[in-house]
Amino acid sequence: MKLPISQLSQFIIRQSNKKAFLSIRCLSTQEATERRHHLFTLEKKRQLELVGRIEKIEVKYKGLPQECTLVMNKDISTPYDCAKHLGEWHMESSALALLDSSVHWDMHRPLSESCTLEFQTFNIAEPQQVNKAFWRTCSLVLGACASVAFKDNVTVKLHSFPGPDIRSGSFIYDVDLPTLPDWQPTQQELHTLSAEYVKLTRRNDLIERLEVGEALALEMFSDNEHKTKQIPDIAKANGKVTLYRVGNHVDISKGPLISSTGQIGKVTVSSVHKLLGSSESDVKQLYRFQGVALPTGAILNHFAFSILTDRAKKLVRLYKLLL
Amino acid sequence: MNQAQVTKLVSKLRINVAAEPRRLRSPKGPEGRLNKLRKTVTGLIKYERIELNYNRGDEARQYAERLISEAITHGDCHKPTMEIADYWLLEKELVHKLFKVLVPRYENCNTAYTRMYKAPRPQYSRNTEKAVLELRGNPYPPLVNKQHNNRHLIQNILLDAAKYDYRQAKYAEMAD
Repeated sequence: MKLPISQLSQFIIRQSNKKAFLSIRCLSTQEATERRHHLFTLEKKRQLELVGRIEKIEVKYKGLPQECTLVMNKDISTPYDCAKHLGEWHMESSALALLDSSVHWDMHRPLSESCTLEFQTFNIAEPQQVNKAFWRTCSLVLGACASVAFKDNVTVKLHSFPGPDIRSGSFIYDVDLPTLPDWQPTQQELHTLSAEYVKLTRRNDLIERLEVGEALALEMFSDNEHKTKQIPDIAKANGKVTLYRVGNHVDISKGPLISSTGQIGKVTVSSVHKLLGSSESDVKQLYRFQGVALPTGAILNHFAFSILTDRAKKLVRLYKLLL
Repeated sequence: MNQAQVTKLVSKLRINVAAEPRRLRSPKGPEGRLNKLRKTVTGLIKYERIELNYNRGDEARQYAERLISEAITHGDCHKPTMEIADYWLLEKELVHKLFKVLVPRYENCNTAYTRMYKAPRPQYSRNTEKAVLELRGNPYPPLVNKQHNNRHLIQNILLDAAKYDYRQAKYAEMAD
């Protein structure tokens, strides 16, 4: 299993400029996940080797405990590495990095030039961007949760998740379950989904980011016809697709995302609704998974949280329909 | 009946004062106790935030509060107040700080002038409680993050939206 995949992926990476061939093979959801994870690892290693001679950049840190200048490696060091120099508290609580007081940067994205650096947590005075990143991450992890929660005989094809809308009350992932045409999740099943979600957050995986070419992205998601359709649109701008990896789950997202899944605290997968596609679209039906979550350390009474979960049970309709 | 009310003579502190003073152990007796407290009060006025044992911090806090309130009520032209300040502040430049900096800062203050937090105790230490004692309005970053009312916090956004939804539902009910 391992050998042909590695040979194939190396072949693909070598030929990433040329047109990739799309082979149709029948992989189970788990095998497909493993394969994506493997390709992600290889591509990450390749990109790291491309850096070549290591150059230094100066990162001016602003904030507690004191302002300081760190000398870091260009294209290798991430804001998370800077946080390691400052202390464990910064590593655990920082969700986003703010470069030059203007650019929001993932904690695990390598820095490419000298800049000033601030860390943003969930309880700063202006946390709008952090909240958006949090909501986006919750959606992405919900996709990971949906793809591990089902048995092997249920095919799970992730479709997409919309941009973060916190006021809607729930984060969303649209999933295609072709083998389950009429599924009404019971309360027990929702509890199980929530438990799977909590398991993912307890693992405290760092959320890695990688930009890959269109061809490799297509190869990675060759088992998922929804994603393969979306990838050319996403890559239209600069031929790159931004991928994120949580544990061994790889997904497409615009970013930025928060630093680790351990920063997701209280969480509930509140409902799964069936969506029917319009007549002209080629997607017949999808399941919309919805949930609500709070960051670790956010203090909220359980009654107030139950109000939020009740509200998150209602189907969220998007103005811009994806189907 | 001509006796003055004691509450009018002594400035009322805005912190809880224990009925009996603590006895801080010292070989020199009560004088040694006061010397210890003088050092602490001087340090508090000088650094504005200090970490120390809880007992001594709580005791010194009462003296510091009293000193500041005396300075506010009588000002720097009052001889007994000046003598008190001279006694409690071991470094004499702090007398100027007391009257020129702290009095204007706390003139219109209607809370206590100092703030005290319990500090974490070092592991494997003797059973001594630690505390952080600070003057209000000091220039350091705050020790506790009080952002619960920030309406941009994610829990507040969610609750706000839920409230809005509920109201809309009620209005719709009333309209029917």
